[in-house]
Parts: sequence; structure tokens; C-alpha cells
Amino acid sequence: MARILAVDDSPSMRQLVKLALSSGGHEVDVAIDGVEALQVAEKQQFDVVITDVNMPNMDGISLVRELRRRSNYRFVPLLMLTTESTAERKQQGKEAGATGWLVKPFDPARLLSTVAKVLT
Amino acid sequence: MAAAAAEPHCRCETLEVSAEAAAILLAFAMRESEAPAVELGGALERIDQALRPLDGPPGRELLTRDLAACVRALQFHDRLMQQLAVIRNLLTRLTDQPLPQMAGFGALRWEELLTALRERLAAVSHEELFELLVRTGGVGVPGAGHAELAEGSTELF
Repeated sequence: MARILAVDDSPSMRQLVKLALSSGGHEVDVAIDGVEALQVAEKQQFDVVITDVNMPNMDGISLVRELRRRSNYRFVPLLMLTTESTAERKQQGKEAGATGWLVKPFDPARLLSTVAKVLT
Repeated sequence: MAAAAAEPHCRCETLEVSAEAAAILLAFAMRESEAPAVELGGALERIDQALRPLDGPPGRELLTRDLAACVRALQFHDRLMQQLAVIRNLLTRLTDQPLPQMAGFGALRWEELLTALRERLAAVSHEELFELLVRTGGVGVPGAGHAELAEGSTELF
């Protein structure tokens, strides 16, 4: 079981990601954007962060960049879960320090297996 | 001559009003569709929790598969919202003042949006359209829509 932070500005997406991950036995916290995610991540340590890309206040790529600057998140898997599928955007995510790029809609079983993979 | 000179201005104004009205309509439609999607997600979560004590094949396996199908299907709503948001943003760019960003369409921001929209309604036709939409949507205006039946309600005589 891992502690996972799911970041998405869509309430229904937060709910679905939380549902999928908690059904796999993970403990899930949520945040509505990059700014809130940083605040939550500073208060507690997560094993994995899964974030959307396009969000207000702070987007997912900026969030990944910010998290990678913190020593306690330097090696934590940071997954992007987004509708963005262009190679250019993916490259931006990779350069920011993302561990993986998942394109929505996600399949719960695949999301769980990806999480398991990045945790090993 | 005067009429011909005035025509482009009128067309421009009409376009602006139409774009603004379309953007308002989209914003309402998006706001309205959020609650049912969240409700569905919540129901799925409760179903999943209720089924956990029943762990064990083959029933659980089938239900897990169905739950996964629901999770995949419900994401359609998020995708639709994103597409509509792009259209809304395109429409609002046609007008002088963009609508405020409505991340997550949370209740607080929704109230801010309604206030901001009301402040922008200069023409009577705008106000009428806005109030009509608010009344139809049944949100945001205290006392609005009381004369109408709530969605899903039943009336017996």
C-alpha cells in the first residue's frame, strides 16, 4: 500500500482516480491544483504523485518541476495523467522530471499496475 | 447611406452579444452537468466500499470489471468539460472582457462568476437572457425557479 497524492481540477476526475487507487488498497489524498498539491506535499510525504497537466493557478508540469526541487521528492515517482497527448507536451513533462505520462481516459487496472511498477 | 454605414457596427455588436450569450449558456451547461457526474462518482465509491467484504471470485471479479467500465465511461464527462471550456474560452475572446476563470466550478467561484457576469450585463436583453438561464438552471438566484418543478420531482393531482 502506498500513500498517493492525486491532483486534478475536475472534481469527478479526482473522485475516479481516488476510487481506482483506493480499490487497489492505496491511501489517497487529493488536491485541486498545483498550488494546493505543493502545500499538501509539504505537510506530508507521498510515495507517488499523480497529476493532471492543465490546471489553473499552477499546472501539472510546473508542479513536477517544483516538487523535483525539493530533496524529499527528488526520487518520488511523479505521474502525469492527462488528455494531452502531443509529443511536445510529453517532452516538457519529461524535462520537468515526470516519471510517466498517462493519457486519459485511464483504465483502473492499468493505473494500478503503473503505480505498482513505479513503486518497485 | 447612414444605414449602410451602421450595418458593420450592428453586426459586430450582434456577434459580441451572441458570443457572450453562448459563453454564458456553456458556462451554465457545464456547471449543471458537474453535480450529476460527482454524484455518480460518489455512488461508485460507495458501491466499491460496500462490496469489499464480499471479496472473492467470481462475483467480485465481475463487479470489479463493471466498476472499471463505469470509471472509464465517467471520464467522458471530464473530456467533454475540457472541450466545452476551450469553446467557452474561444467565445469569450470575441468579447472585450474575458469571463473569469472557473477552475473546478466550485461553489465559491461560481458565485463570483455570477456576480461578475451580472456586473457586465449592460443591455436589457442581456439581463433577460441571463435571468432566464439562471432560472432554467435553478442555480445562483435565491428564490428563482420556485414556480417550476425541480428536475426529477413528481407531482400528483
